[in-house]
Amino acid sequence: MSAPDITTPGDGVNAANAPVHPSWGALTSRLTAQLAFNEDRFFLILAVFIGIFAGLAVVCFRITMEWTRLYLLGSALTPSPWRAFLAPSLTGLVISALIFTVFRGATGSGLNQTKAALYISNGYIPLRTVIGKFILATLAIGSGHSLGPEDPSLQIGAGLASALGTRLNLSRKKLRILAPVGAAAGLAAAFNAPISAVLFVIEEVIGHWSAGILATVVLSAVSSVVTMRLFLGSEPFFRIPQVGVIRWEELLAYSVLGVLGGISSVVFALFIGWLRPKIKASPNYVQFLCPAIAGLLLGLIAFLGFPQVMGAGYDFMDQAMHNQYTWQVLGILAGLKIVATTLSFTSGTPGGMFAPTLFIGAMLGGAVGTVEHLLFPHLTGSVGTYALVGMGVLFAGFLRAPITSIFMVLEVSGDYTIILAVLVANMFAYLISRRLQPVPALEQITRQDGLYLPALEEEREQEVLTVEDAMRPRPAIILDSQRAVPDAWTTVQATNDEYFLVRRPSNSVAVMARADLKSLMDAEDVRPLEETQTLAVVPYLHPDEDLQVALRQATNYPLVPVLSRANVSRILGVIALADIMETYRKSNRPPQG
Amino acid sequence: MNLLKRDYIIREPLLISMLVLLTILFSALTHAYSAAYDRRRISLGQEWYAKGKQELKNSRPATAVDDFRTALVYDPGSWDFSTHLADALMQAGHDDQAANYYLGLWQRSPGNGPVNLQLARLSARKGDTVSAERYFNGAIFGDWPQDSATNRRAATLELINFYLERGDTGHAESELMIVSDNLPEDPQLHNLVAGLFGRVGDEPRALAQYRQVLQLVPQNLPALLGAGEASFRIGDYRAAEGYLTRALHVDDSNDSAKNLLAVVQSVLAINPYERGISEAEKIKRTLLLFDVAGKRLQSCGSGASSIPPYLERWKQLTSMANPHFLKQHPEETETLIDFAVSAEKVAESQCSEPTSNDAALLAIARQREMEAR
Repeated sequence: MSAPDITTPGDGVNAANAPVHPSWGALTSRLTAQLAFNEDRFFLILAVFIGIFAGLAVVCFRITMEWTRLYLLGSALTPSPWRAFLAPSLTGLVISALIFTVFRGATGSGLNQTKAALYISNGYIPLRTVIGKFILATLAIGSGHSLGPEDPSLQIGAGLASALGTRLNLSRKKLRILAPVGAAAGLAAAFNAPISAVLFVIEEVIGHWSAGILATVVLSAVSSVVTMRLFLGSEPFFRIPQVGVIRWEELLAYSVLGVLGGISSVVFALFIGWLRPKIKASPNYVQFLCPAIAGLLLGLIAFLGFPQVMGAGYDFMDQAMHNQYTWQVLGILAGLKIVATTLSFTSGTPGGMFAPTLFIGAMLGGAVGTVEHLLFPHLTGSVGTYALVGMGVLFAGFLRAPITSIFMVLEVSGDYTIILAVLVANMFAYLISRRLQPVPALEQITRQDGLYLPALEEEREQEVLTVEDAMRPRPAIILDSQRAVPDAWTTVQATNDEYFLVRRPSNSVAVMARADLKSLMDAEDVRPLEETQTLAVVPYLHPDEDLQVALRQATNYPLVPVLSRANVSRILGVIALADIMETYRKSNRPPQG
Repeated sequence: MNLLKRDYIIREPLLISMLVLLTILFSALTHAYSAAYDRRRISLGQEWYAKGKQELKNSRPATAVDDFRTALVYDPGSWDFSTHLADALMQAGHDDQAANYYLGLWQRSPGNGPVNLQLARLSARKGDTVSAERYFNGAIFGDWPQDSATNRRAATLELINFYLERGDTGHAESELMIVSDNLPEDPQLHNLVAGLFGRVGDEPRALAQYRQVLQLVPQNLPALLGAGEASFRIGDYRAAEGYLTRALHVDDSNDSAKNLLAVVQSVLAINPYERGISEAEKIKRTLLLFDVAGKRLQSCGSGASSIPPYLERWKQLTSMANPHFLKQHPEETETLIDFAVSAEKVAESQCSEPTSNDAALLAIARQREMEAR
C-alpha cells in the first residue's frame, strides 16, 4: 500500500494564475454569485422570523387559554364547585370529539411528537396538528385539566417553523433543523426563559450538542422571547424574597428536598408508565370517553376542596411560595397533582407536563421547607425558596434535564442567589431518579408508542471510549526524515512492521510504508527520506480524545500518532483502524462516527 | 412559487420582504387581540381590587385576601394590589405570608417608606430587633408617596416606642432628640414627644416641650398637666403648683391634677430642704415629716414583716422629736429625716396607698437622692 499523495495545489498557485485586472464580466459574475440565494445565510435570517412568529403564536395561545378559563371557570382565583366539577368533564367530551374527527395527531404533550417529527419525518409537522394543538390544548387547560401550556407551545413553534420551511422550499437538511429551531422559540416564549429553552431543546429534542444548530436555535429563542415580552411584559414568573448567604447546614436541608423530589419523580413517572398503556389498549369508545372521565375525576378533586390542582396552577405555585399553605396541605396538593396530571395526560387530553411538574415540585418544596423550618427555625431560606428549588428538583428528576432544570429555576425567578441550593438539590433528584428508574419518563412514553428516539440522557449513560483505550505503545523505531534511505532501511530491518513513523522538521510526523522504502532501496536512492516524496504527513491524536474522532482519522491513514498534550513533540503511542475496531468489539458497542 | 425555487438574485430580498410583511400583519392582529384581553384583564383586576378594599373596610381581611389575590392574577405586577394583599394578610394575622409579599415589594423598591415600615412592624412583632431597626431606618430615610416629613416622623416615633418597649432608653432618647429638633408647631405632637421624653426619664426636655405647647396654647390641659408633673419630678414644686393650678382652672374635675397638686402642696408645706426657710421652720418641718412617717407606720401596723423594727425605732427617736432638743442638736434633724424617709420607703412597698403627705415625703426622698447623685 502506498502512502497518500501529500502535494496539494495551494491557493498561491491559483492566485498566480489569476489575471491581475479582472474583466467586467468576471466582476459581474462574482457579484452575482455573492448576491445569489445563499441558503445558510438565509437560514439565520429565517430563524429570527421563526422566533417572531412562534412568539406571536404563543402570545395568542396564552391569551386564548385565559379567555377560555374566564368563560369556563369564571374570573375568581378558585372556581365555584359546580363549574370546577362540570367544566373539565364536558370540555373533555368536546376534546375527544375533535380528536377523533378532525385533529387526530394533536394528542399528547407535543414534546415527543416534535422529537419524533425531527427523527422520523425529517422535521415535518402538519399544520393541521399545530392548529389542533392550539385549539385542544387551549380548551383542555382553560377548562381546568391538569396540564400545562409549555410543551404545546414548543410543538406549535416547531410546527410553524416546519410549515414555513416547507413553503419556502428549503432543503431537506435545513427542514430537519427547522423543527428544533421553532421548538426552542415556542418554549422560550412560553417560559419567558430563552436559556432554558435552548438547553432543553438541545438536551431533550435534538438529543446531542451541535455547534451548527446552536446559533439558529439561540437566535429564534431570543427573538421569540423579545416578541412575547412586547405583548405580555418581562416580569419573571415568580417573585420570592432573595436568599442571603447559604450555609452548609442549609445545603443539607436542600439535599433532603432533592432526595424526596427524586423519589416523587419516580412515583410520578411510574404512575404514568403504568396507566398509559392500559388506556391505549382499551377499546375506542373507552378512549373516546377518557378525557371526559379524567375531567370528571379532576372535577371531583376540585369539588372536594382542592381546586388548586386544576389547570397549569402557576397562581397557586406563587401562593405556595408566599407561605400560604400549611405543610400538610402542600403535601396533599403535591400528591393530588400527581394523580390529576396522570389522569389528564394518560387520557390523551392535549397539554404539557412542564407546568404540572413544576407545580408538584413547588408544593413538595414548600412542604419540605415548612417542616424543616419547624424543626430547625434558624434556617435562612424562606418557604418560597424551597418551593422554587423544588420546582427545579422535579424538573431534573422527572424530565431528566439536569442542566436545563438549573437554568430554568434561575430564569423563572430572576434570582441567582439560590444557585447553590438548586445545584445540590437538582443533582440529588437527578441521581436518585436515574438510579431508581433507568428509562426517563419521556423516553418511556415514546417507547410505549413504539418509537426509539435518541436522547442526551442515553448518551450520558454510555461509557465514553477514548484513544487511550485503544492505542498501542510507542513504536520501537521512529525514523528521522533527515536520514538517508539506506540508513533507514538498515534500521527497519530490526522489525517486521509495515508502517513507520517518521519525525519531520517542525515537529510534524509522517508515515512511511516498508514497501515504499524497499522500492527506494531497489532504485538505489541515497537521498534523505525528506527528499524522496514518499512521506505522508499524518494528523495526530491525544490520549483523551473520543475514539470516534480517532476512527475518522484511522480510516484515512494506516497509522496515527498519539502525542502528549503537554509536549506535542513527544510520541506516546500509535493507533490504527484495527486497534479501534478491536476496542469497540471488546466493549460490545458499535462505533457511531 | 417558481420564483422561490430558483437561485435568482432577488429571491432572498423577496423572501425577506414577504416575511417582514407577514410579521407586520401578524403583529397587528396579535396586538389587537392582546389589547382586547388587556382591557378585560385590567377591568377584572380593578373589580377584584375594589371588592377587596370594600371587604377590608368591612373588617373582613380574610375575604379581602382572596379578592386581592384574584386581582393580582390579572395584574401580577401591580404595586397597589400587592401592598393591599400584604396589608390584608397582616390584618388577618398571617404575618409570615405578609412578610413574604412585603419582602418581594422591598426587593422591587428597597427605598419605599411604607413597605419598610410594615416590614419593621412585622420584624418587631417577631422580636427580630436587628431587622426591625434596619427597616425602621429604611422607613425614616425612605421615599413616601406623600407628606414624607410627617410619615418619616411617625416612623421615628414608632421606632422610639419600639426601643422603649424593649427598655432601650438610650437609643430612644437619642432618636427623640433628633425628632424634637424638627417638630412643627403642633401642640399634639409636642405633647407626644414630651410624653416620650418623660418615659425615657428626660424631664427637663419633656418640660421644654410642654412649655412650647403652652406658648402656642396657654390653656392646653395635657400640656399643663404634663408640665406640672415634669416640674414635680425635677423638684421645681413651685412651678408644678402653678401649672397644676392652671390645669384645674381649665378643668376643675381633673382628679389626677387635684391629687398631684395636693402632693405638691404637701411637699411645699413639709419640705425641710426648701431654700430660704429659717432654722426654726426647718425644725418644724422635720418634726412634721417624722410625724407623717410615724402615722404611716402605725396605720400600716404589724401586718407587714418589716414594719415592727421601724415602729420600735420610731418610738426610740420620739425622745429627740421636739423643737427644744433639735435647737440644741441641729445635726439630729438629719437623723430624724433619714429615718422618716427610710420608713416611708419601706411602707411604700408593704402598706396601703399613701396619703398626700406620704407621697410628698417620698418625693422629698427622691429629690434628695437625685441631688446626692
